[in-house]
Amino acid sequence: MRRSILSQPSVIIVLLLLTAFTVAVVGMSEAAGGTLSTSLVKTLGMTLCLCLVAIAMDLVWGYCGILSLGHFAFFGLGGYMVGMWIMYARTEQIVVQAAQAATLPPTPQEIRDAIGTQIFGVVGGARIPPIWTFADSLWIQLLLVVLVPGILALVFGWLAFRSRVTGVYLSILTQAMTLALSLYLFQNDSGLRGNNGLSGLQNIPGWESTPQSVVSIYFFVASAIALGAGYVLAAWIVSGKFGSVVRGIRDDEARVRFLGYQVEHYKLFVFTLTAVIAGIAGALYYPQAGIINPAEIAPIASIYLAVWVAIGGRGRLYGAIIGAAFVSLLSTWFTGGRAPDINLGFATIQWVDWWQVLLGVAFVCVTLFAPKGIGGLVDYVVRKP
Amino acid sequence: MNHKTLSLLVALATSTALTGAAVAQDVECPIKVGILHSLSGTMAISETTLKDTMLMLIDEQNEKGGLLGCELEPVVVDPASDWPLFAEKARELLTVHDVAVIFGNWTSVSRKSVLPVLEELNGLLFYPVQYEGEESSKNVFYTGAAPNQQAIPAVDYFLDELGVEKFALLGTDYVYPRTTNKILEQYLKDKGIPAEDIFVNYTPFGHSDWSSIVADVVALGADGKKVGVISTINGDANIGFYKELAAAGVSADDIPVIAFSVGEEELSGLDTSNLVGHLAAWNYFQSADTPENEEFVAKWKARMGEDRVTNDPMEAHYIGFNMWVNAVKEAGTTDVDAVTEAMYGQEFPNLTGGTAVMLPNHHLAKPVLIGEIQDDGQFDIISQTEEVPGDAWTDFLPESAVLKSDWQNLGCGMYNTETETCVQIKSNY
Amino acid sequence: MRRVNTVVEGLAPSTFRRAALAVLAMLLVAVATIEGALAQPAPTPIEELLLENTELIQESSRRTIEPAIAAIADSGLEGADVVLQRWEARDLFVRESDGRFFLAERGDDRDTYNLFHVVTKEPMGTAGRREVDQIKPNSGIRALIAAALVKFQLTNPDPAVRRGALEALLREPSAEQLDPLRAALGRENDPFLKGAMERAERLLTVRFEEDEAKRVEAIESFAGDLSVEARATLNPLLNTTLKVSKEGPDEDENVARVLTPGSENLSFDAAYDLLVRRDLAPRIINAAARDAALVEHIENGMVAGVPVASLDTREARDAAYSRLEEQGAVTQTQTEDEIADLIASFTFYEVYSEPEAITGAVLGTIAAINRSVAGYGFLDIALDALSLASIYFLAAIGLAITFGVMGVINMAHGEFIMMGAYTGYVVQQFIPNYTASLVVALPLAFLVTFAAGVLLERLVIRWLYHRPLETLLATFGVSIALQQLAKNIFGTQARPLTAPDWLGGALVINDVVAISYIRIAIFVLAIIFLVLLLFILNHTRLGLEVRSVRQNPRMASSMGINPDRINMLTFGLGSGIAGIAGVAIGLFAKVTSDLGSGYIVQSFMTVVVGGVGNIWGTLAGATLIGFLQKGIEWFNPSNTLAAQTYMIIFIIIFIQFRPKGIFALKGRAAEA
Repeated sequence: MRRSILSQPSVIIVLLLLTAFTVAVVGMSEAAGGTLSTSLVKTLGMTLCLCLVAIAMDLVWGYCGILSLGHFAFFGLGGYMVGMWIMYARTEQIVVQAAQAATLPPTPQEIRDAIGTQIFGVVGGARIPPIWTFADSLWIQLLLVVLVPGILALVFGWLAFRSRVTGVYLSILTQAMTLALSLYLFQNDSGLRGNNGLSGLQNIPGWESTPQSVVSIYFFVASAIALGAGYVLAAWIVSGKFGSVVRGIRDDEARVRFLGYQVEHYKLFVFTLTAVIAGIAGALYYPQAGIINPAEIAPIASIYLAVWVAIGGRGRLYGAIIGAAFVSLLSTWFTGGRAPDINLGFATIQWVDWWQVLLGVAFVCVTLFAPKGIGGLVDYVVRKP
Repeated sequence: MNHKTLSLLVALATSTALTGAAVAQDVECPIKVGILHSLSGTMAISETTLKDTMLMLIDEQNEKGGLLGCELEPVVVDPASDWPLFAEKARELLTVHDVAVIFGNWTSVSRKSVLPVLEELNGLLFYPVQYEGEESSKNVFYTGAAPNQQAIPAVDYFLDELGVEKFALLGTDYVYPRTTNKILEQYLKDKGIPAEDIFVNYTPFGHSDWSSIVADVVALGADGKKVGVISTINGDANIGFYKELAAAGVSADDIPVIAFSVGEEELSGLDTSNLVGHLAAWNYFQSADTPENEEFVAKWKARMGEDRVTNDPMEAHYIGFNMWVNAVKEAGTTDVDAVTEAMYGQEFPNLTGGTAVMLPNHHLAKPVLIGEIQDDGQFDIISQTEEVPGDAWTDFLPESAVLKSDWQNLGCGMYNTETETCVQIKSNY
Repeated sequence: MRRVNTVVEGLAPSTFRRAALAVLAMLLVAVATIEGALAQPAPTPIEELLLENTELIQESSRRTIEPAIAAIADSGLEGADVVLQRWEARDLFVRESDGRFFLAERGDDRDTYNLFHVVTKEPMGTAGRREVDQIKPNSGIRALIAAALVKFQLTNPDPAVRRGALEALLREPSAEQLDPLRAALGRENDPFLKGAMERAERLLTVRFEEDEAKRVEAIESFAGDLSVEARATLNPLLNTTLKVSKEGPDEDENVARVLTPGSENLSFDAAYDLLVRRDLAPRIINAAARDAALVEHIENGMVAGVPVASLDTREARDAAYSRLEEQGAVTQTQTEDEIADLIASFTFYEVYSEPEAITGAVLGTIAAINRSVAGYGFLDIALDALSLASIYFLAAIGLAITFGVMGVINMAHGEFIMMGAYTGYVVQQFIPNYTASLVVALPLAFLVTFAAGVLLERLVIRWLYHRPLETLLATFGVSIALQQLAKNIFGTQARPLTAPDWLGGALVINDVVAISYIRIAIFVLAIIFLVLLLFILNHTRLGLEVRSVRQNPRMASSMGINPDRINMLTFGLGSGIAGIAGVAIGLFAKVTSDLGSGYIVQSFMTVVVGGVGNIWGTLAGATLIGFLQKGIEWFNPSNTLAAQTYMIIFIIIFIQFRPKGIFALKGRAAEA
C-alpha cells in the first residue's frame, strides 16, 4: 500500500500539473523577462499557500470529520512567527546603520532599546515585550512556526477530545478559540503590535538588493514545493491503514472506538499535524502578502477556509486545491474592479456589491445540490468513460 | 478677491499651463489616477464616500479640459477592508495600470501595508485622513491632520477654554488612539496634570456596552475637578457611546466630550438632540461659511443627493487633488519625482478659509476647527485657529522630539537633529 | 451710513440723547425703507459698553473674557442682564466694520441680515451676510456668563429661571455668590427650589465661609450624601502637599501622614527625585549624563586613555567614567549607600492645606460616604452585569430554540437580528412618532423574521437535518449573502433607530447607581420571552409537539404529528424572536449590516455553556457570561478587550470540564 503512494494517478497528475504550472509561471515572470506581473506572481504564490492550508483543512474535516473553525488561526500564527523575525532583523539593520553615526559605539542595550522604539513606537510603545525574546534568531523563529501552532493544537485538542466534545460543539469551541486568539492579538498589550500587526514583511532582511520580482519567484517556488510536499504527505497519510481508521472515525466514531482504536489519539494526531501544516503555509504566505494583523485570524477567515474545501469537494485532496484556488482567485478578480458590470436596464449590477451575495448563494447551492463540490464533478468526468 | 476673479485667475493659470505642457508633452494620455479605497467590508462605511469624492473631482477636472491636454481616467479598485489586499492592489495600480498617482487609504494599518510597495516602486499616495504621525515617507503626502493639528489644539481648548482638570481618554484599541493618547498623556503631564487625573480606556471596534465606562467617567468628578472626555473612539462604536452618554444625562456643560473621529458622516447614524454641545475637532466642517465651501457642498449634494453630508477627509482629498493637479501643471509631467518637487510650497485655498500650504515634510499647514454638535447633526464652529503646520514627529515624546522630516532640503524623513544624521530613508512600517 | 453715525454722536448730549435718538431712529427707519439702506442711531450706553469690550468679546476666549463679563454685569445699566442672556444664547452679532453689536435675523434672501438693537430689538437696518459675524461663546464662557447672571436671576419670578441660575451657580461657584444666595434663600417660596437652594448654600458654605464652626457644621450636614457634588466639595479639602525637611513638620502644620521612603507610597527614586528638585541633593549621574560626559572628554579618539571604539558595553563606559572621576574631570557618582544615607537624613511628610478642625470633620464624614459609595458601586456593576446578561440572553434565546431544541446550527441567526433592527429603522421612516413606530416595529420585526426563518427552513435546512455540520456551512452562506444584501439596500453607513423619549433617560437611584431605561426595557423583554417560551414549550399543544418531535420524530409522526410542520413553526418562532431582539439591540446600540455577526459567537457560547435544549440553561449561560465579563472588567477597567478575551478563554476551559453545559440533558433526550 505504502509503496504505491507515488503511483497513485491523482498524486501523479497533481504533481505534474503543479510542476508544469510552476515552470510556466517562473518562465513567464518579469524576473525571467516575461510578461507576468510581479503582483500576479505574488497572488499566485499566495494562492498556493492557501491551497496548502486547504489541504490541511480537508485532512481534518474531509477525512477525519472534525469541522475545525480554527485552522486559519494556526495559519496566522505561523505568519506571526516568521514576521517577528523579519521585522526584528530588518529594524536591527536600520538601527545599527544609524548608530554608526553616533560618537560612542552603541551598547547592545542601546541597540535593543532603539529597535524597541522603532518597532513599537508606531503603536505607542517602546519596550520589546518578552515574546520577542527569540526574534533575533531566524532558526528559532522558524522552529516556532511549527511549534507554536503545533503545541496550541495539541493542548486544545487534548482537552477537547478528552472531554469527548464532538460535532458542532467542537466547531463552536474551535471558533471560540479563534475569536479569543484574534481578540488577544488585537490588544496592543499583546506585544504583537495590536491591530497594526506586523508589516513590511515583503522586505526580507538580507535580500535588500534583490528586486521584488525575484523575491516573489523565490517565494512562489517555495510555496509550490511546500504544496507538493504537503499533498504527498497528506496522500500518504490517508492511503494507508491510518487513513482508513481516520475515515472510520469520520463516518462512525463510536464504532471505531468499539473496535478498540484509541480514537482520541488519531484525532489529536490529525488535528495537530494539520495545524502544523497550516502554520507552515502561513509562514510562506505572509512574507508575500506583506502584512499580517489580527483581522486575518478573525473567525470568519476560518469559515471561508471551510467554504473553499466544501466548494472544492471534501474528502478528496485535489478538491481542496481546486476549491481554494478557484474561490480565492475569483474573489480577487471580482474585487479588482475588472469584472464588467451587468446593465439590466433598470439597474446596474456591480460585482463589487454583488460578489458576496453570489458567493453566499453559490455556497448554499453547493451544499444542497453538490455536496461533493467541484471535485465531485472531476470524479464524474474522470470515471464516466 | 471675489469668486469671479479667482476663477478667472485659475482659468488663466490653466491656459498658461496648457501651453507650457504642449512643449513638455512627455505624458501618455489618458493620465490614470488610482483610487484605493475599500468599497466593501468594514471600512466601506467611510471610504466609499471618498471614492465618490475623487470621481467628482476628476470629472470636474475633465470638464475643465483635463490635465496637460490629457483626459484624467480614474482607476477604481476595491481592497475590501483587507489590509494585505491594500498592498496587492497598490502594486497592481502601479505596475499593471501604471497610474500617475494614488488617492486612497483610511486606516493606519492599510497605510502601513502599502508603504513598502510605494517606496519600492516609487509611487505617489495622497492620504486624506487624520492620523497618529510618527511616520514620514517620501512617497506619501499626508493631507489629513497630524496630532499637533487636531489632538493638541483640542486639548489646549479643554485646558484653556473649558477649564478641564481631569481627563478621560477613551479610545478604540488600535494604533491611532494608542499613539495619540500616548502623546496626549505626555503633553498633559508637561502641562502639570498629575498621572492619577488621566483615565485611559480602550475598547474593541464596534463596542456597544458602554454603561460601566460612562459610569466610571462620571465618577471621576468626585474629587471636585472638572472632567473632560477626549474620545478617539472609532466608527460605529460611537453610536452606542453617545446613546449611553445621553441616557446617563451627561450634559456637555458638566462633562464635555471632544471627539477626533466623529464627523458629519458618523452623526448621520444617530439622533443628536441629546448630544448638543459636545465637541469635535477637525480641519473642516460642512458648516464652514465660505463661498468655496458653499460651492463644494452644493456640487456634492447635486451629485450624490440632498441628504449626503461632507466631511474632513473629503476636504483633504479636495486640497490634495487640486495641489497635485497644480504641481503636475508646474512640472509639465506626471513623473513622481518631478511632481513631488513641485508639490513643496503648493498653496491652495481651504474650504474653511485661509490657504493650505504643502510643507517639506509632506504635511499641510491647515487651520484647526472646533465645533459643537447641533441638533441637526451638523457642527457649529466655535473656534478656528490660524494655519498650524503639520508635524510628522511629535515634539512631546522624548524619542521623537529629536526627529525631523524634511524631504525638500535634507532628503530625509527621519532626521535626527541631535546626531545630525538620517536614521532611515525609507519610512518605518 | 458712517457719516450719519458721526453726526448723531456729535449731536447728542446725554439728557436729550434718548428722545433725540428715538425721533431720529424713526425718521431714519422711514428714510431707510425708502432707500433700502439704513442709517443707525448712536449706540446706547449698554451698546457703548459692548463697543468698549468688543475686542475681548470677539476674541471669545475664557482666559481673557472675565473683565468684559464683569464690566457688563456690574455696570448697573438697564438691560445688562438681557444683553448677557442674549450673548449666552448666541444671539449677538458683531459688525466687522465698526465692532458694533446687534441682534440679527436672516433676511428674505440668503445674503442679508436684518439687524436689531441688542436690548430693545428695534430694527437697525440690514447688513450683508459676510459683513456681520455671529458671536459664539464656547461652553466655558457660557458658564461664566451664566454665573454672572446668577445674581439677576436668583430672584426672578419664573421658577425655571431660578433653577437654571442655581445650576449655573454650582457649576462655577465663587465666594461672592454666597451672600446673594443666602438673601434669595430667605425669599424663596417654592419648596423644591428652597431645598435645592439650601443645599447649594451648604455646599458654598463648606468652600467659602470664613467662620470655621459654620463650615464644620455644613461639612457634617453632608454625612451619608452620595452625590458627586457633595464628594466633589468635600474631597478637595483633603488635598495635601508633599514636604521634605531635616527637622520634620512644624508645630502649626496639619500633618496628614509621614512617609517612609522605600514604602509603597514613596519609592526611593521618587524620594531622591524630590530632594534633587528641592536642591537638597546632587543629581544622580544616569546613563545619558555619563555618555554626555564621555563624549565631552574625547581626545584623539580616546576617553581617559580608553579607545572610543571599545566603549560598546555598559561596563566599558562605566569603567571609562570612573577613570575620568579619578582624574577629577567629572562629578563623582554616588554609591547606593550614600544615596540611602542622604534620604534617611530627611523626613518626608504630607501636609493638609486646611486646618485640623476642617480636615477632621471631613475625614469623619467622607469615610462613611466612601464606604457606601463602594457598596453602591458594587451594586452598579451588578446591575450592568445583569443588563449585559439580558442582552446576551435576548440575542441567544432564538438560538436556544433553533439550536437547542431542534439541533439546527443557524449561522444566519445574527442576520435575523440584523433584519429585525432594520425593520425597526424602516418603520421609523414611515411612522415618525417613536412610540407608535416601536409598537408597530416589534410585531412587524417578528413577522418579517418569522417569514424569513420559515423560508430558510423550507428551502435549505430541512434537506440537511441529518447533516448538522453542513447546515452550519449552508447557513453561513446565507449569512454572508444577507449581510451583503443589507449593505446593498441600506448602504454601509449606520442607520438611526431612536428610542422614544420615555425610554431615553436613566433610572437614577443615586449618583453612583443608575441604569438607563432602555436597558431596563431589554431586561423586561428578556423576562417576558423567558416566561412566554417556558409557557409555550411546557404548557401548550405546540410545545408538546415540539418536544416530541425533538425526542423522536418517527414516533411523533406515527402519533399524528406532522414533524415537517412542527420544525417549520419552531424554526420560525426562533427566528421571529431574533427579530424582536434585533429591534431592542438596535435601540441601544447601532444598526449596521454587521450588527448580528458581533453577537453570533457569543450567542452560540451562551447556549452551549448553559446546556443545549434547555431555556433555563440559556438563562444560566447568559448570566454566567454577563457577570463574568463585568467581573473581569472590574479588575481591569482600562481594557475591555482583555475582559472579552479572558471571558472566552474561561468558557473554552469551562466546556472542557462540562461539555454538556450547566444544565445537561440526561437520559434518552440527551442522545437524540
